[in-house]
Amino acid sequence: MLLLVRKGRVILMKIITNRPIPEKFRVLADTVMKGQTPLFAVVGDLDLSGRYNESALIFTRDTLFAFDDKYQEKYVEVKINTLREVHVKRMYGNALFKAVTKDGKKLNLLRFTYSAADIGDAAALYVNGVIESGFNNDLVEMVHATYNKQRSFCPRCGRKLPNPEAECINCSSKKNLFSKFVRYIVPQKGKLFLCMILSIITTIMSLVPPYITRIMVDDVIPSAADGVEIAMQRLVSVLVTLICVYVVQYSVSALRGYILRYTGDQIVINLKKDIYAKAQYLPLSFYDKTSTGSVINRVNSDTGTIQNFVLRISQEAVVKFFLLIGLAVIMFSMDWKLTLFSFLPIPLVVLTGKFFGKRIAPKYRRLWRKSSAISTLLADTIPGVRVVKAFTNEKETTDKFSRYCDDWMKEDRKAAVTANIFPNIMTFLVTCGSVIIYAVGGSQIITGSGDLTLGMLVSFVSYASMFYDPVNFFANLSDSYQNTLASAEKILDILDAEPEHDFGKGNMPDKLQGRIEFKNVNFSFDRSKKVLSNINLVIEPGDIVGIVGTTGSGKSTLINLIMRYYDSYEGDILIDGINIKDIDMGYYRSQIGFVQQDPQMFRDTVFNNIAYGNANAHAEQVMYAAEVANAHTFITKLPDAYDTMLGERGVGLSGGERQRVSIARAVMKNPNILIFDEATAAVDSETEHLIQAAIERLIRGRTTLMIAHRLSTLRKANKIIVVDKGEIIEFGSPEELLAKKGKYYKLVQIQSMSDKLISQKQAENFE
Amino acid sequence: MPRYLDGPEVRFTINDGIFLDTEFYNGETYQALEPHRMFPVSGKDRYIALLDEEGHDVAIIRKMSTLPEKERQTVQSALDEYYMMPKIKRFIKMSDKFGIWMWTAETDRGVFTFEIRNHLTAVKPLYDGRVLIKDANDNRYEIPDVNQLDKRSRKMIMPCL
Repeated sequence: MLLLVRKGRVILMKIITNRPIPEKFRVLADTVMKGQTPLFAVVGDLDLSGRYNESALIFTRDTLFAFDDKYQEKYVEVKINTLREVHVKRMYGNALFKAVTKDGKKLNLLRFTYSAADIGDAAALYVNGVIESGFNNDLVEMVHATYNKQRSFCPRCGRKLPNPEAECINCSSKKNLFSKFVRYIVPQKGKLFLCMILSIITTIMSLVPPYITRIMVDDVIPSAADGVEIAMQRLVSVLVTLICVYVVQYSVSALRGYILRYTGDQIVINLKKDIYAKAQYLPLSFYDKTSTGSVINRVNSDTGTIQNFVLRISQEAVVKFFLLIGLAVIMFSMDWKLTLFSFLPIPLVVLTGKFFGKRIAPKYRRLWRKSSAISTLLADTIPGVRVVKAFTNEKETTDKFSRYCDDWMKEDRKAAVTANIFPNIMTFLVTCGSVIIYAVGGSQIITGSGDLTLGMLVSFVSYASMFYDPVNFFANLSDSYQNTLASAEKILDILDAEPEHDFGKGNMPDKLQGRIEFKNVNFSFDRSKKVLSNINLVIEPGDIVGIVGTTGSGKSTLINLIMRYYDSYEGDILIDGINIKDIDMGYYRSQIGFVQQDPQMFRDTVFNNIAYGNANAHAEQVMYAAEVANAHTFITKLPDAYDTMLGERGVGLSGGERQRVSIARAVMKNPNILIFDEATAAVDSETEHLIQAAIERLIRGRTTLMIAHRLSTLRKANKIIVVDKGEIIEFGSPEELLAKKGKYYKLVQIQSMSDKLISQKQAENFE
Repeated sequence: MPRYLDGPEVRFTINDGIFLDTEFYNGETYQALEPHRMFPVSGKDRYIALLDEEGHDVAIIRKMSTLPEKERQTVQSALDEYYMMPKIKRFIKMSDKFGIWMWTAETDRGVFTFEIRNHLTAVKPLYDGRVLIKDANDNRYEIPDVNQLDKRSRKMIMPCL
């Protein structure tokens, strides 16, 4: 927060806000706030009547200042101690910041669209906090955290960023940006340089044929006057030279094409490898805010855009530049007047290129939309064909498909018109250039009013037509520059992201006994809402601990912290008395066996899925692990047994089978700590029995944590943790908790009651 | 079965802009019910649910046109206050920078600039010429009839349809 005192007046310069405070309220705010320190502001985009307008709500320690054109004096002042509560009422497409005074009067203070709604919520939390327990700095910090999270726009230029706190591509220096990619190009500099030399050779070679044409027309053919034989000899030598030039030009160009392609591949592959490697080491909090699909896209297609641009800049641009200069020099040295004439169509060519570029892009975008609508429908209905048939909806689906196809065809026809007119008009314009040259040069030769020869004219026309291509190239360079910047931004977002911290790298205690201790642990994902508060507990080695609680109570977060997926918690988590942050991360995780509710399988053999992360696993080891996990029997029944290839996400196995494979995976690690997150939630009771048996075999002598909804899963547990709203409300042995008649007792009662009901129902059905 | 309202059997009074104090013919009264459209896109004037504080519907207005004029206006004003889906009259500017679009449009609630992230999901053309737009912040906009837009605006929006 920065208050600037200028000429004795306090100016609201840079308080924390979602948008700059509107100019029209700034002076007013300065006067009415009389030097009170503003803490933060919510700037709205609607007035109280719901029309687009500017409005603002500025918060201080004890007062709210609302600015809106609808107020008679353009503002109102509300003391927080006169209020009972405030809240944000979210409506459809807009929201109101409402306050209720102590005498029950309702006030609408600020109206805004959804763009400010989250910040409005945080501001309301602040005010209610002040009402409840007076002002304190934690409240302000909470608001600031929300602002930072929401701050997905660049503070300098206001541009929206791809995700919060990313670097703004508009404001960061371009030099800096490209320097980050330079290190991918530098190792290839030898090859790129070679390519450039080769390009210059082909460019020079391409300049030769028109010159030879000139010799042919001016010297060789007229030399028939000296005798046919001499002329023929000259013709042959000229033609041989021409062939040699062509051979050099095309073979060098083939070589260059080859080197260039494989250099480009190397650049992009290195970039891809780095992004992928980086993505593996990024903390989970990165994936919380970035969709995995967009990460995949960045590895796949954004790198390609960069590659194209790099090659264009380092190769084509250089070559075209030399070509441009070379052509200009040659043309001017041949006939400067004619050269100026031949430049006449250039503005037209460039403008037409731009004009059509602008027209054709939207057409292709429309076309793309239409064709993606078709593929979406395909992806929806072909795999869902069972449902389509079950509801006899074949006709409707077919009609819809043909409608989409017709839509596409209509668009494609429109695009076809533009797409075909455009190149032909361009060629036509270029031809017009030749016509001008012929007209001017031809009349010069006929009247003999210059030293232009016929051969010079012919070769001049060739040079002139070569001239337009590089001109067009440079005219359109800026568009691809824009696309590249967008891709670069997305890639840097990953490359520059902070990886997981491994503070204790190299610190590998001999063997973990498995004593887990939480000391005053508090955690929240984004500081705006606490997920775990004040967790204190000790789990002794060999304990089997059941964690129960309702959905969203914080059970899984507890596990996530033990796994070190999130590091930004307060307090300490200790294993055998050592802070887990001080242990080598790779070693630490390797000591924990983690079985998830929906186990992730990879597209690989069953063997490799069990031996995952253990490249040197012995066949007997894997089979033993499978046996412990009750998986061996079903695997041997598969025709390819341990060599069975699994499809994506484990297609080919049932849910229970996948679960047992993942337990086998945990057995392979021979961990000292085992964690089960709802391992039997999604399977039938017989499979549950098999899995349960496997688990019981596995947990012998190991510290075990189990999250479970079904309390029957926890019958081996010697300790129970009951989590509710992020706090541990009960902790102790099952007998203690039952005797206490608290939450756990209630849960047991409810479940045994429903179990009884189920068995009763079943009994009835059997009768 | 929800309780459907089909005629002059209820009296509404506006409470705090968007709520309705409701008195039924048989003397039942409810404080501060919130009218909610069940079909905010496809049918603005039918099936208006009246929700209590917990979000349970006390009754559903089947058709707005069956209400007496005065009651209809009362409900309408509460709905107008709650639902904000500005009607776009014309587009003033569309700029694309680094793959994010900023659209400036004149609407029935004034001029506004909003941001579009993903064309494919943000713009939904309906077959009757209506176009629904959802911006990056989940605000909604509507073009009542795309064919009625002026030529310039139409040219701007066409690539997205």
